[in-house]
Amino acid sequence: MTARTFRLAAYGLAALTLGLWMVDIVRQLQLGVADFALSFYAVAGVAAVVVAVAVARQAGRERMAVLIAVWLVISVLDDLPVDWPVSRTAATVWMLAHGLAPAAYGLMVLAYPSGRLRAPGARLLVALAAFVGLVWMGAPLLFFRPGSCSACAPRVSSLFYTGRTFDYLAVGQASWTAFIVIGVFFVALLVRRLRAAPRGARVTLLPLGLAVFFTAAEFVAQRVVWLGGWQSPGTALDWIDRLNALVLPLAIFVGLAAIRRRRGPLGDLVVELDQAHPGEVGRALARTLGDPTLQLALWLPERGAFVDEAGVPVDTSAIPEGRAVTTIGPRGDPLAALVHDERLLGQRSLLEAAGSAARLALENTRLQAELLAQLAELRASRARIVGAADAERRRLERDLHDGAQQRLLALGLALQLLRDGNGDPELLAQAEAELQTALRELRDLARGIHPTILSEQGLGPAVRSLGDRAPVPVQVEAVDERYPASVETTAYFVIAEALANISKHSQARSAVVSFGRQNGKLVVDVADDGRGGAVARPGGGLQGLSDRVAAAGGTLTIASDSDAGTVLHAEVPCDS
Amino acid sequence: MRLVIADDSAVVRDGLLHALQAHGHEVVGTAGDGAELLDCVQRERPQVALVDIRMPPTHTSEGLDAASTIRKRAPGVAVLVLSHYVDVDYALTLLRESPARSGYVLKDRVAELTTLLDAIERVARGETVVDPELVDLLLHRPATETRLAELSERERTVLALLAEGLSDRAIAARLWLTQKTVETHVRHILAKLALPPDADHNRRVLAVLTFLRSQG
Repeated sequence: MTARTFRLAAYGLAALTLGLWMVDIVRQLQLGVADFALSFYAVAGVAAVVVAVAVARQAGRERMAVLIAVWLVISVLDDLPVDWPVSRTAATVWMLAHGLAPAAYGLMVLAYPSGRLRAPGARLLVALAAFVGLVWMGAPLLFFRPGSCSACAPRVSSLFYTGRTFDYLAVGQASWTAFIVIGVFFVALLVRRLRAAPRGARVTLLPLGLAVFFTAAEFVAQRVVWLGGWQSPGTALDWIDRLNALVLPLAIFVGLAAIRRRRGPLGDLVVELDQAHPGEVGRALARTLGDPTLQLALWLPERGAFVDEAGVPVDTSAIPEGRAVTTIGPRGDPLAALVHDERLLGQRSLLEAAGSAARLALENTRLQAELLAQLAELRASRARIVGAADAERRRLERDLHDGAQQRLLALGLALQLLRDGNGDPELLAQAEAELQTALRELRDLARGIHPTILSEQGLGPAVRSLGDRAPVPVQVEAVDERYPASVETTAYFVIAEALANISKHSQARSAVVSFGRQNGKLVVDVADDGRGGAVARPGGGLQGLSDRVAAAGGTLTIASDSDAGTVLHAEVPCDS
Repeated sequence: MRLVIADDSAVVRDGLLHALQAHGHEVVGTAGDGAELLDCVQRERPQVALVDIRMPPTHTSEGLDAASTIRKRAPGVAVLVLSHYVDVDYALTLLRESPARSGYVLKDRVAELTTLLDAIERVARGETVVDPELVDLLLHRPATETRLAELSERERTVLALLAEGLSDRAIAARLWLTQKTVETHVRHILAKLALPPDADHNRRVLAVLTFLRSQG
């Protein structure tokens, strides 16, 4: 279960407590049994609920809050027999709740402040208290007959009443003895903890210790009065009992507040980060620093760019008015940056400390963001490759349709006219010209789809053939050598596109194509002496080439300064 | 016969112009796109418009849009759409507006002049013309279960010709049967396919095509 689940559970139980209080108060007003004590309980109860909610809001205290809230619910249920004196359901619930009340109390105290039972013997003690409590109330649950006990809280039997007679009061006496023994161990456990605690922790334990002492004192006093046979409702002891409802939650709150004050927001951050999933680090930082608009940007050294936790690029150079950037990590090699409200700059030391505290979590988050960014890039390039292939097919269809297909139709028409007796020599010449043109267009198209010379004779001859048709002189520097077909095709299209760009845009007078094997890669360079300034634009030919090379596992770089010509450099792995 | 030709390829336009003129037709205008075609039809009121389905600007199905506009502005003009694709939906789009005086034939028929000339004659007479290749495609699609299986071999042949838009008389002539026999076949076919026995021949063609489209 996550901290969030515990926090929500605590809220739910606190709400349940409040609801039960309302019902209790309304019911007692209806029955006319409301007294001053009830209004005190109401105030104390609301205060206790507020404490439970306040604790639940603290990072890392959610379990503790649940335990407080459970105890509150059980305490409220204690009034059930007053509210519904003749309801057997109310009597049943009361007996169960009443029996478990000591265990709930012990659990809450022993689990403080972490919300977990860590001390040796603590679990056993709480389990014993629950067991004794169930035996204690189990007896009246099964055997309580109305009228058999005037001092007992319910006036009716439980839903599980067996109809048999049994001396449940004796069981009660035995249970009390057991409770006293458990209580002694309980106090001993607490004292040992207080003594063993370092001085810093003792401050946080002290309020609770006092509260428990208060409760214990009240309990002993009650026993003494009871054993002495003095029945005196409304005495000071009853008021001490009532104060109990307030004292304990208050003690816990004060203790936790002391811990919190010592720990400060950074401590909260560490606790939060410990529980945060990757991807929630930004949120934890935002909460700690008290700036909900805080945005976390992680530095990816390989890309030289900031991305958010989902791997989406973040532009930290264009920061709007009122926002500021704090970098985390060394100046030259940042780990991350926080984009936050300018006013946080007043707490620069806190900002930087938070960054340091979050370092490990940020390292992890960065790894994840890097993966996500790579994934996003991969998806985008895959989509571009598919898009480019579609566009290519459409272009081919158009070329075929507008060119060869129309010419062949016209040729068919002409042939029919000739067959039908029109021996016009001009028509014949025209038909022949259409046929020649159609053939040439088909040939060009076929070469565009896949050049035969490439698969038959290899990259060298194919590139030289490309160079022969280029409008500028092309010098080819390469050793004739065969590479895997996919590598040759990739390199061929890089060179073909580069040469096409040179003749279209560069105003170059000459170009040099060189390629060869280097360290298991086919390295291709196409250089021209033109005006330069080529960039890969989305959807442009160079972007398409880049994707194509990336799909073959290679890289493509373009050096194209103004007036310095363009050099296209591609490396495609060819492990053979 | 007075004709207009709309085709964005000048090569085909000129070829068609010569071929049709050589066969005694009067080509009263040519157009390179839909707008030019509409102007030409308004001005010349030809008997038949030959419309290439692919024209600028998108080179997809501008011809169909132009045909639809001609239907509204000049209902008396027969439209023969020359398509590059054996596409049933394009054909149905055209025929649904008005099956009479409409034709959908493959552009390849340009090179089979007699077929093209026959189609021109037929749409001009007010008939529906559907390219046999399209009907063939519809009839021979792999279908799991269809009422078509209930037809006899002869009935299937008649159905194919019916779908091409041939009249009972033309079917009779094609299959060397009497017109009465063909009419009986047609009645049986429509009953087996659960199609309404419509008196209007062109609407019947559309019904048959729509039925065939819905199968498989």
